[in-house]
Amino acid sequence: MTVQVAPNVEWINQCYDHEGSHEHVSLYLVCAPEGTVLIDSGSFYHREEITAAVDDATGGEGPDAIVLSHSDYPHAANVSPLGGDTDAVELVASSGSPAQQGLPDARKCDIGGSLTVQGRRFSFIDPPLADRSHTTWIYDHGDGVLFTADGFGNYHDPGQCDALSCDFPDVTPAESVYAYHRDNLVWLRYVAPEKVERTLDDIFSEFDVSAVAPIHGNPIEGSDLDTYRDRLADAMRRIADEHAVG
Amino acid sequence: MPREITRGIHWIYEPGPDRTESWDLDDRNPGWYEPGEEAYVPQCAYLVDGGEETLLFDTLSPASTDQILEVVDDLVGDRGLDYLAVSHPDVPHAGNTLAILEEHPETTLVAPAYGNDHELYHLDDGVHVEEGDELDLGTRTVKFHEAIFLDSPVSVWMTETETGTLFPVDWMGFIHLDDERLTFVDELDGEFDRSRLVEFHGRVLFWYQYIDVPKTNAEIDALIEKFDPEIVAPAHGLVIRKDATEYMALMKEVTRELDSQERIGTLG
Repeated sequence: MTVQVAPNVEWINQCYDHEGSHEHVSLYLVCAPEGTVLIDSGSFYHREEITAAVDDATGGEGPDAIVLSHSDYPHAANVSPLGGDTDAVELVASSGSPAQQGLPDARKCDIGGSLTVQGRRFSFIDPPLADRSHTTWIYDHGDGVLFTADGFGNYHDPGQCDALSCDFPDVTPAESVYAYHRDNLVWLRYVAPEKVERTLDDIFSEFDVSAVAPIHGNPIEGSDLDTYRDRLADAMRRIADEHAVG
Repeated sequence: MPREITRGIHWIYEPGPDRTESWDLDDRNPGWYEPGEEAYVPQCAYLVDGGEETLLFDTLSPASTDQILEVVDDLVGDRGLDYLAVSHPDVPHAGNTLAILEEHPETTLVAPAYGNDHELYHLDDGVHVEEGDELDLGTRTVKFHEAIFLDSPVSVWMTETETGTLFPVDWMGFIHLDDERLTFVDELDGEFDRSRLVEFHGRVLFWYQYIDVPKTNAEIDALIEKFDPEIVAPAHGLVIRKDATEYMALMKEVTRELDSQERIGTLG
């Protein structure tokens, strides 16, 4: 089952259970003019569910292209099962050293640049909220969806796995935004949050974002973005304030 | 070929791709660079041999599977590899974990206790280590520490206590020239140019562009006091075996310099 995020973007979500609290490990399917494009490939942990879901969403055809945010295992572990190691499926990744990242046959996208994949234009953004150095955020110029790894995530409760931000009583809960970023972007304890905020402002000024589609969170609709960003800013300040040196 | 840093600690090196073009070195010609030379940001693994037991810290990348298997065989011989410690599950650091464990079924996997999604990295079955945990290998003892400057939340740093060696993983990496492979920093020609550290941390520990400088530099002071190492063995740079704490202190200038400029660029 998939959840529609935008007219041509479907969310294929899987969850990892942190003893009752869930974390999404998702991928997204973009229906492009010339074929289907998967954003990320998910974890081996959910391999059967993911390959079945992709098969179902593509009418048994599988994707025509896979675009990876980065090579981290929860994002890139199903490239081969989804056909990304065959000539039939175009694989796009941002790494300048693909062999070292285990993706020797990937077409390179330059962070800061754009590519047309299956007739759809994608821009590759230098992300302020990520873990690995070769990560890119991916902006879909067709529907205005910004795919983010690993920032803009949140934990959620069982039963909220398919929820969009508007399905929560008051948008994505602040505590879940804070806890996710505290646990996963540990380096936030050393940053000056206003510097990250400035970069986020620049990104949202340059790109007309209709929705944010995080790999590790519930998608955030455009009308909820201001609220989410306020909560994210509070979370970053709290993470930095809570950490004592030494 | 590996190089022995000090008795029982072996430096295993993988160059990765030439960074000359992606880092625009010929046009920019930074002070440390020799025009026309290739330049590398290496992947390094380290094998600690305590006589009684052996431990490999990180695995090199999947581009070097044959190399790491061969080197480990050469270094441990018939005694086998007792421990494979993975600093964090980043592909260039841990990408040969399964290959090594298949080749060495006698090996115990050691993984960071930090983070909360070990199953997503096949690290749930390993021995999980955190601050203060030790492994006595005989004449060498390794101790694990919370990683301070990191990328993955599932991360750990390591020291070897007899030799005073700090393995800070992604921290204190830097680029080097082709003819500087497996060269100790004290063997380099001329004075070490800190811009090498600036370039690496600006591109690879990308979040350094956002740091709170006083707080980060206070943390560096705390690290110097805590570890006071004789040797620093980074995953992405050359080994520092003299004046190690001075190089750690140099990292405070790196943070100031990165704070004063725009994003240098990506790893490429």
